[in-house]
Amino acid sequence: MKLTAVQEDALIELLNIGFGRAASSLSQLTGHRVLLEVPHVTIHPIDEVTASLERVILTDVASVHQIFSGAVSGDALLILDQAGASMLKELLTNEPALPLSIDASAREVITEIGNILLNACLGTFGNLLKVQVSFSVPQLSLESLAAILESLRVNQEGVKYALVVHAGFKLRDTEVRGFLVIVLSVASLDRLIRAVEDWEQRVP
Amino acid sequence: MSTIPQSDELLAKGLLRWFEDLSDRGIFTTDQSLTVRSWNPWLEAHTGIPAGQAVGKPLLELYPSLSNRRLDSYYRNALAGEVHVLSERFHKFLLPIGRNVPSLGTIEMAQSARIAPLSVDGDVVGTITVIEDVTERVVSERELRNQIAASERARSIAEEASRLKDDFLATLSHEIRTPLNAVLGWARILRTQPRLKSRTRGLEVIERNAASQLRLVEDLLDMARVMSGKLRLDLKTLQIEDVVQAAIDVVTPAAAAKNIEISASFDKGRPAVNADPDRLQQAIWNLMANAVKFTEPGGRVDVQLSKVGSTVELIVRDTGQGISREFLPYLFDRFRQADASASRRHGGLGLGLALVRQIVELHGGSIEAESAGVDRGSTFFLRLPVASSKLEPKGVDARRSSLVTLKGVALLVVDDNDDGREMLVTALRQYGAKVKSVATAREALDVLLESHFAADVLISDVGMPNTDGYEFIRQIRANAVTRDIPAIAVTAYANPEDRIQAVVAGYQAHLAKPVDPSVIAASVASLVGTKPTLR
Repeated sequence: MKLTAVQEDALIELLNIGFGRAASSLSQLTGHRVLLEVPHVTIHPIDEVTASLERVILTDVASVHQIFSGAVSGDALLILDQAGASMLKELLTNEPALPLSIDASAREVITEIGNILLNACLGTFGNLLKVQVSFSVPQLSLESLAAILESLRVNQEGVKYALVVHAGFKLRDTEVRGFLVIVLSVASLDRLIRAVEDWEQRVP
Repeated sequence: MSTIPQSDELLAKGLLRWFEDLSDRGIFTTDQSLTVRSWNPWLEAHTGIPAGQAVGKPLLELYPSLSNRRLDSYYRNALAGEVHVLSERFHKFLLPIGRNVPSLGTIEMAQSARIAPLSVDGDVVGTITVIEDVTERVVSERELRNQIAASERARSIAEEASRLKDDFLATLSHEIRTPLNAVLGWARILRTQPRLKSRTRGLEVIERNAASQLRLVEDLLDMARVMSGKLRLDLKTLQIEDVVQAAIDVVTPAAAAKNIEISASFDKGRPAVNADPDRLQQAIWNLMANAVKFTEPGGRVDVQLSKVGSTVELIVRDTGQGISREFLPYLFDRFRQADASASRRHGGLGLGLALVRQIVELHGGSIEAESAGVDRGSTFFLRLPVASSKLEPKGVDARRSSLVTLKGVALLVVDDNDDGREMLVTALRQYGAKVKSVATAREALDVLLESHFAADVLISDVGMPNTDGYEFIRQIRANAVTRDIPAIAVTAYANPEDRIQAVVAGYQAHLAKPVDPSVIAASVASLVGTKPTLR
């Protein structure tokens, strides 16, 4: 399964609308001008996500995980490398971050940032598909990328695909990159992509 | 059995009640209209609002601040299915609740909160809010952060100090080598061309450079004494005007050479201060010398001494190169120089003003500097308390009574350094002494015990190979023949500890190199009991 250029463009455009909302929440919360952009969206079978992300992230990561359910269900994660997570926390709170494992405040800040982004992203999809999605309480974990993705793979029925959204936070002349990984069933993903195509055709 | 719940719904209710009651977090629920439907004991205890009052009230009426802080949108989003995390760092708290913290008193409780939809069969029927008190965590994190910041600061101060010391060592090496080059160069010329016409000039250069190096080493030792708290003041009541005038006299030739005019105005009352005359003169001389050093030819230096209340104020104002705003706060720090680069125009160790400050502060005074900036001159204000009582003058300085004769006094000089030994012998012979000299402790003992040289006073170097001066004097004191011969240690080790060590080892006196021959002669004279007489 591969996105066509048209599909990818439409997805990016849609996501950027949602991220605009997330960025403005973050700007309001922190008093800093935060920009969020999506340069790139890809789709991978879940088994290949690890390999494709490990090319970009080699170190341990901080991930914020929310489960969503309803007419469309799956897992959504924000994945940041830990240095990036610490930097994001420093930039947003004006105080030096300690290692995430001992800095509970930083972990919480990252959880809220992940929550805002995932809400924006899934909210956008929910609106598009005209379905209500409900969310679980976000959980932050500090693990290797492989361990996190492995925990997603088990207990999943049927073939799963992951929509990988490359996201860049820009604030105070610094950019921190991360990924949103949204794990969906083939059927859900199909519905989503079709809805995106419809949307694309409706928009002049 | 009516006590057993009959349905899942009742079971769920019971379970929720159980969680709510036992939880160490605040938990409340609302319905779709955001009217409070449950309020747990934690909230009752911390907000002071009993469940009976909270339940049934619209949440935004109970806490109007939620709307003011735009947190009502979180509840609307929750009704649309979204979960929200409210971190303490971004929101501080959800509900304003006071909390008592030891050492801080009552503060706003720091909270981390979750706002989530309550769903039944996929339909949102209300919201649930869970509040965690994270005050203690926030306080301890703040302390940890402060500690880290404090240790970072300490580290950067230490690094800065270490860097300054490195700079200082580089400067020191340079400053020590510069006069040595002149001394060595001229010494070689004089040795190879004894009949050179400019011989006197060469000797002058050697003397001047040696003197400047001595000054440098004395500054260093003074600084070491100040740092270890060993600088002692010999206080006398004196007219500060005399000290200032003496300092002006010293720098006048240098000023004249640069065509710098020095003008002085003194308070008519001739205020007196309690001060160590040598140290105070050193401080004032330093200020004057700096003023002249950093002023371009044709400039001026104004010196003004006045009594202001119970303080004597000395103002030294120059038209020189001034002090940059950045450097001004560090002016009196040790090892600091405005220009520490190799290409700098002015020599010196950067100890002068640090010493001045230490000396002035030891006198209970203060020193400040002002400058409008680079090239706009500098002004120094030195303030000392006016003497309230007169101190008895101390005994006459040994150096003043140094015109002595050592006629008929037998001296044995022990020094492994040929030049040093020869200088001593030559100088002491000029005082009329009978001088014998040897290079080692072993030879000295031979001369005393085998050749029966009846020395009246021994003069020995301390740092010597094989048997050093300390060991030598112990052997002298251990031998019945030589036990009572007074001895003087002459050493390059010039610390007070060295002095004590020399005396403990058995010397009667300790003199630091380079020694002025008149001082050593006076010392010998006092040891042999010869009354210092005018030659």
